[in-house]
Amino acid sequence: MLIADEFFLVAHNDSRGKAKLHPAATGLGLAAGLLGELVLFGRITVSAGLVTVLDRRPPADALAHTVLDQLIGEPQHQAVRTWLSFLAQTGVSSVGERLARAGVLRRQESRRLLRTSLSYVPVDLNAAAWPATRLRTLLERPEPPSVPDALLLGLVAATGLTREVLWSAGPLAHHRLGVVVPALPAPLKELVGHTEAAVGAAVLRGFP
Amino acid sequence: MPPAATVDRPSNVSDSLARGRLGVPSVIFFVLSAAAPLTVVAGVVTTGYAVTGVTGIPLAFLVVAAVLALFSVGYVAMARRLTNAGAFYAYVARGLGRPAGVGAAWVALIAYNALQVGLYGAIGAAAEPVLQQIFGGSPAWWVVALVAWALVAILGLLRVDVNGMVLAVLLVAEILVILVFDVAQVSHPAGGSVSFATLSPDNLLVPGVGAILVLATTGFTGFESAVVFSEESKDPKRTVPMATYLSVAIIAALYAFSAWTMTVATGPARIVDASREQSTALIFNLAGAHLGDTAVTIGQALFLTSLLAAMISFHNTTARYAFALGRERVLPALFGQTSPRTGAPRVASLAQSLLGLVVIVLYAVAGWDPLVQLFFWGGTGGGFGVLLLIATTSVAVIAFFARTRTGETLWRRAIAPGLAAIALTAVIVVAVDNFAILLGVAPDSPLRWAIPAVYPVAALLGLLWGLVLRGSRPDVYARIGLGAESAVAEAPLVTPEPAPAGVEAAR
Repeated sequence: MLIADEFFLVAHNDSRGKAKLHPAATGLGLAAGLLGELVLFGRITVSAGLVTVLDRRPPADALAHTVLDQLIGEPQHQAVRTWLSFLAQTGVSSVGERLARAGVLRRQESRRLLRTSLSYVPVDLNAAAWPATRLRTLLERPEPPSVPDALLLGLVAATGLTREVLWSAGPLAHHRLGVVVPALPAPLKELVGHTEAAVGAAVLRGFP
Repeated sequence: MPPAATVDRPSNVSDSLARGRLGVPSVIFFVLSAAAPLTVVAGVVTTGYAVTGVTGIPLAFLVVAAVLALFSVGYVAMARRLTNAGAFYAYVARGLGRPAGVGAAWVALIAYNALQVGLYGAIGAAAEPVLQQIFGGSPAWWVVALVAWALVAILGLLRVDVNGMVLAVLLVAEILVILVFDVAQVSHPAGGSVSFATLSPDNLLVPGVGAILVLATTGFTGFESAVVFSEESKDPKRTVPMATYLSVAIIAALYAFSAWTMTVATGPARIVDASREQSTALIFNLAGAHLGDTAVTIGQALFLTSLLAAMISFHNTTARYAFALGRERVLPALFGQTSPRTGAPRVASLAQSLLGLVVIVLYAVAGWDPLVQLFFWGGTGGGFGVLLLIATTSVAVIAFFARTRTGETLWRRAIAPGLAAIALTAVIVVAVDNFAILLGVAPDSPLRWAIPAVYPVAALLGLLWGLVLRGSRPDVYARIGLGAESAVAEAPLVTPEPAPAGVEAAR
């Protein structure tokens, strides 16, 4: 499962698909997940606050392909923060759709008081709850997590989801989480840093 | 990808990010909604007349507005080049060095907390007529204050920033009520003729002038927040400066006019005595005589909602300040945590609420006067702290532009902030001299020195703490002043200083 997918499931770890995380941070976390996927695919890199395309070949995943095309199509925008804000706007629906296509989630439209709200409900509760459980067990083991898992853990910490994931874990797990981000490869470490900064900026502005 | 290729071509990214962008009116609304005009007009101005006994308050608003407009010239110019631009200490950290920034941050924390907690002192007086009307009786002030406190504490945690639309409606209603009251006051002058006596400059040549200048500054608190919306505004180069200047102008015009019309209605010679007798009820009593009971009831209800809105807004501001400092690790990292579901700065909000509770209980148990000793002292004490911050920031602006090569004009980078710094320093000197008058205590009261001394002590301790951080925790030192952006401090934002980029795993 790709980074943004797992982040989505961690952030909506609930039988009715309700968000565990406020919308601003959810969107930014998903956006960072999408950019992170492209970094891991070797298509882009992040340094000095800018995104640079390294390889224009489309990745296998349709959404990752779309995001890469967007990056290639608008070379005048390079700032990581711009792309985080832009991808955050559609993060929930684009990643939600990807999970729906994969059969993990089911679209559910509900009408309440003139407003139609769209949510993504888990098809199999255990499968949807798995990423959070997996992250928790990862931190209970002494060996360091793989790079994709470390990135996911970094995004969980950057968006403020740590307590949701580590609710039952001991201080050792919290300590290991603190070591994970500094050990990330430089582009991913910077991506996590910008995500944390963007989430903090959203809190400071007082926007939901 | 050469940056030269930036011709104006259609961009999905720009378009979709521009959709929610704010124009000048929206930013002004954000700024003014924190200002809570009726709180200032009905509460601060009347209590100000009563405590200081100085009649130059209308003029003081205009003088302070002129100084703040001058200050804003350099302030908005520097804001564009700064991360975390909403907080004065960020300017100080960039302009005068990080240790000074920590000192300014501590001063800011105290000042904003004083302003917020002070508001609990007025809520009892504001609620009394409303409760009287509904229930035919009213409990002790601290009961009302505790109810308001609980409301603020819960809303702060849920981060229900009172809905923007509700705030806008309340704000417009408040301003309308104030203007209607003002017109009634002007059209029914005491003694039959409108007196301009309180607008004469010699009202500012009296011993208490420093006191009313601080009081006026309190009324402007919040004008600095327009710069927060730099990234969200349609055109940061135009929107933010326009919104800042217009906010200052609107606040100045409204408060000066209202403070003046009060003196017209009572007669310049009677305003101090009338304020002492009637306190926060003064403008409602004046309105009642000419406009009837309905207008008064509406005004009193809006005074209550205005205070509540101000409490919530200052609570959130203060909590965000502590949150930003927590993110920098200047305060414990705990303060930088948010509640996942709401995004509220949970620990910072709880800490602010705890302080409010302690102060309310303390005043209730000790039996101190809530209106003068909590509301007015909190408001003016906090306002004095904000004044110190603004003055320091104006110096920081000069220092910043002296070191940074920019295309700004000499007026923006040196002359305007320089004049503002001189004027603000003069105001501070007079204010310290007049502090006994500001508080309404005897000239030999220890409080007269104790309250203003809080700030230099805090600034000094903060400065020392900043120096300690430089020696012992360079990773934290590098983050000072960056607020939420400190998360990327290890990367390129760090200016060339002896800040090793080394990252220790365990903090």
